[in-house]
Amino acid sequence: MNLKNLKLVLVFIISTLATSAVYAQDEEVATAKQVVEKFQSELIAVMKDGKKLGYAGRYQKLSDPISNSHDLTKIARIVVGKEWEKLSEDQQQKLTDIFIRLSIASYAHNFKDYSGESFGFDSEEETTRGGVVVHTHLVIPNDKPVKFDYMLKEKGSSWRIINIIANGVSDLALKRSEYTTILQREGFDVLMSKINEKIDSYSKL
Amino acid sequence: MAINNTISLMSSNNISLKVSGAILVILVTLSGCATTAITEHAPNKDDPYENVNRVMYGFNDKLDDYIAAPVSKVYNKITPQFARTGIFNFFSNLKNINVVVNDALQAKFSQSVSDTGRFLINTTLGLGGFVDVATDTGLELNTEDFDQTLAVWGVPNGSYLVLPVIGPTTLRGIPGTAFDVAANPSTYLGMPIQLVSLLNARATAEGSLKFIDEAALDPYVFTRESFLQWRKNLVTDGKSDASLDFGDDLDELNSGDKKIATKSESIRKDVSKDNHKLELSAPLQ
Repeated sequence: MNLKNLKLVLVFIISTLATSAVYAQDEEVATAKQVVEKFQSELIAVMKDGKKLGYAGRYQKLSDPISNSHDLTKIARIVVGKEWEKLSEDQQQKLTDIFIRLSIASYAHNFKDYSGESFGFDSEEETTRGGVVVHTHLVIPNDKPVKFDYMLKEKGSSWRIINIIANGVSDLALKRSEYTTILQREGFDVLMSKINEKIDSYSKL
Repeated sequence: MAINNTISLMSSNNISLKVSGAILVILVTLSGCATTAITEHAPNKDDPYENVNRVMYGFNDKLDDYIAAPVSKVYNKITPQFARTGIFNFFSNLKNINVVVNDALQAKFSQSVSDTGRFLINTTLGLGGFVDVATDTGLELNTEDFDQTLAVWGVPNGSYLVLPVIGPTTLRGIPGTAFDVAANPSTYLGMPIQLVSLLNARATAEGSLKFIDEAALDPYVFTRESFLQWRKNLVTDGKSDASLDFGDDLDELNSGDKKIATKSESIRKDVSKDNHKLELSAPLQ
């Protein structure tokens, strides 16, 4: 074995070790910051292939990354606030399911292509109630960066996103106002049909 | 500017004022009946006049659909992008005077100095404000207005209001806007120039308006919440994190949703397996 080959083998061994180390870390408990960064990199990857994938492809590719990084069941429950208790078990289930589909559909619709965007990490802080906020920003070429703050809570042994605050506007608060208002003014069926219309239009736009 | 236009438009024609007043009364009464018939829920604490505000929102929406949007479309067609950006920069630069004044009123003295620098650079090197050279030199655009100053002075924002033509504001926002209009040099530039400012502002807002249409389930609530949160974020200079934590709700949720979680998990898997079907199917009932 000459020196060049030895070098190649070494590089191979080191890179294999490095990858397995990453996998090992992945199987252990990922920190809140890792959960966010993994999700952001998966999102950017889908954006890069966005045009080629089309809406259905993006939906498919984002489905797992979103579900594994967000606690969508809990979010669905928070957005209807106290109205949750007034829903039947069947309605609660329907709402949770449709909410999961809406969340994935809105990502698939809004992150459809790539023009050089990238996420950057700013800081991480613990909240008084045992959550973690990961402060990041999205760099958009020729535009002001957008602040993205992720609020995470522990679910079992992993961290899950339960709220995203973009430039100070909380997605959870926004949705909660909308959902509770519709439930109170127009009822469950109208809320369901409005969400269905939204999913439908996301798939067509 | 918008206030001036509305007032002059209305006072110039008493008859139309009376007619629109009458229509307004009818609309308010109708909406009152309609909403009380549907529900009897506690009013939102930030929005006690929701029923009237919704009528105003509807009125503004129609006004936009039938007048502002078509005019803006023509304007967009005949004005190239670089001209629109230039015009936006010009008015934004004049507004810098407001920013500097409000910086000082809020005792943000170093920001006041950098915003003055921004104004001077853009007015001279930026050819009267048409080119935003300052941002490239690191002097970012700050947003400060008299409503924020009043907030810093301790004035609470008061109820959410939707004004005809002007749109979303709060009780505190009315004196805030009046002060800013008076302090902005573009107010004194005369009607045609103000009209260009309005047109350009509407054209610039196109993207945001489209986003509300796309994302909102209830556009009225969506607009109200994003407006109030955006204002709060400006007042606290991005340090507001009251909306970060939903602790009270989460504490209530810690038990009882396991069954739903597992069931949803399996449904999600089915959905992702069969995506094309989902995309092509009509809204599921």
